[in-house]
Amino acid sequence: MIKKISSNNLHKYMALPAILLFLLFFVYPLSRGIGFSMMKYNGVSAPEFIGLGNFIAFFHDSRAMRDVLNTLQFGFSSAVLLNIFGLTYALIFDGNTFIKRLGRTVVYIPAVISGLIMGYVWLMILSSQTGTYYQILQKIHALWLYKDFLGSMKDAMWLIIIVNVWQYVGMTMTIYLAGLQLIPTEIYEASEIDGANYFQTLFHITIPLLIPSIKINVITNIIGSLVVFDVIVALTNGGPGNATESLSLFIYRNAYGGATGYATAVSIIMFFIILIPVAISLAIINKKQIEMGV
Amino acid sequence: MNKHLNRILTIFLMLLALIPFYFLSVTAMSSPKWRNILVPQFYLLNFVNAWNKSHLGRAMINSFILTVCTVSLIVLFASTAGYAFAHVKNTFHKIFSNAFLLSMLVPGIINTVPLYVLMRQIHGINTYWAMILLMTTGALPFATFLYTSFIQAMPREIEEAAYVDGCTKFSAFWKITFPLLEPVTSAVVILNAVGIWNNYSMAVFFLQEQSMQTVPLAISRFAQTYGANWNLMAAAALIGMLPPVVVFLSFQKYFIKGIVAGAVKG
Repeated sequence: MIKKISSNNLHKYMALPAILLFLLFFVYPLSRGIGFSMMKYNGVSAPEFIGLGNFIAFFHDSRAMRDVLNTLQFGFSSAVLLNIFGLTYALIFDGNTFIKRLGRTVVYIPAVISGLIMGYVWLMILSSQTGTYYQILQKIHALWLYKDFLGSMKDAMWLIIIVNVWQYVGMTMTIYLAGLQLIPTEIYEASEIDGANYFQTLFHITIPLLIPSIKINVITNIIGSLVVFDVIVALTNGGPGNATESLSLFIYRNAYGGATGYATAVSIIMFFIILIPVAISLAIINKKQIEMGV
Repeated sequence: MNKHLNRILTIFLMLLALIPFYFLSVTAMSSPKWRNILVPQFYLLNFVNAWNKSHLGRAMINSFILTVCTVSLIVLFASTAGYAFAHVKNTFHKIFSNAFLLSMLVPGIINTVPLYVLMRQIHGINTYWAMILLMTTGALPFATFLYTSFIQAMPREIEEAAYVDGCTKFSAFWKITFPLLEPVTSAVVILNAVGIWNNYSMAVFFLQEQSMQTVPLAISRFAQTYGANWNLMAAAALIGMLPPVVVFLSFQKYFIKGIVAGAVKG
């Protein structure tokens, strides 16, 4: 590294800009964050070392515990539903007709729009009294069907999950579609000759051969869903009460509320909350992959 | 699957994706007094009012500057790093290419709070340059990874001809290799451009001033002020979502390729 840089060996230093940025904006804050997590620190005055105090406080913080459950509920339900619907969509939209190509484009559109804006659009449709949903029910004299989902402690989170799945199902579908392209058509012909029906073929041939796509979709959906932020901010901002507050919203609020040390400790805990389910699902999928011999 | 059932499901799912946009458009083109929810009033003044009150013009310029600069830096730094990681084998590069891969397991939110402290110390809050560098760093590991694996798969003879002509390896990269990286570059550009344009969770920390706000920030501030006025809100949302949708519809092919390439390699 010490050798003089000349035009002849310039190419050896081509990774330096990327590495310097990585050190400054990733490694350095990450290592400082580990330090902050063991301090009582508000971001301004001198930090005070309190060891594992922030971590212990986290497990005694009933709001934080509620947020962990909210985050897990959102993360798992979204990941499961995105995969079930993503695969279903892929099976329906697989094919090269005009209507299917158009359909794939249309279904993908919501996924390129900001989650925040999409959240506000659904808020506009669902918000009580003034929303489109309420007005339609009123027009068709079916107001008995109406329920203020977003104002309900029990239902609000499910509604956010549904909106999130609606928005991103096209992305999961696209990866499944690519996986379907890789399955040779001869296999389907053989199973047809053997007299297998649609669902037998689906569960014994298509799904096992899609395991690589399943792996990618499960992992990216778990990680992506557990860090949920925008859609919740737009639809409920964590309410009613704290019924839909996620851990990332909790971190944001604590960081802004001057609890810098505590917020970094929660970030580190959140890292493991993401890592553990990812590791477990990877292990399960890999085991299935070996069992099925694909 | 039955052909007719399939046709019905295809159309049903397309409608399911589009209906919210239809209601959004009707609301955006009607005055508060308009009671018909299926047919708009074509009251287009909402768009003018929403545009003026939401500061979306300024926000579009900010989002555009941030997106273009960040994406350019990502392409510049990730392609060069990918080249070095693929062609210059040493311990230093090995350590960092592995560190890049590991860092992809760490979601942005984990690092946001200490980054916020750092940004305040370097006076990077509410500045273009710091936000650009920050978002570039976030996207670098994955983009570098895509470039590295693409370059490794390229035949080396292509460049060797250039050395004979007296090029250094550095100039051969720009003259010969970089143009051939076009498939990766277009995937990196398109995926990151939409992600950066739509970014809210980072921007909300680091861009607090109104003059610096991006489109999602402008929309959320507008919603807090005019949230009860759904007609204006709908018009603002429609304007705000237009750029990524237009980009997606024009470069659809690259989008799908990018996602699939990213997924298969990731």
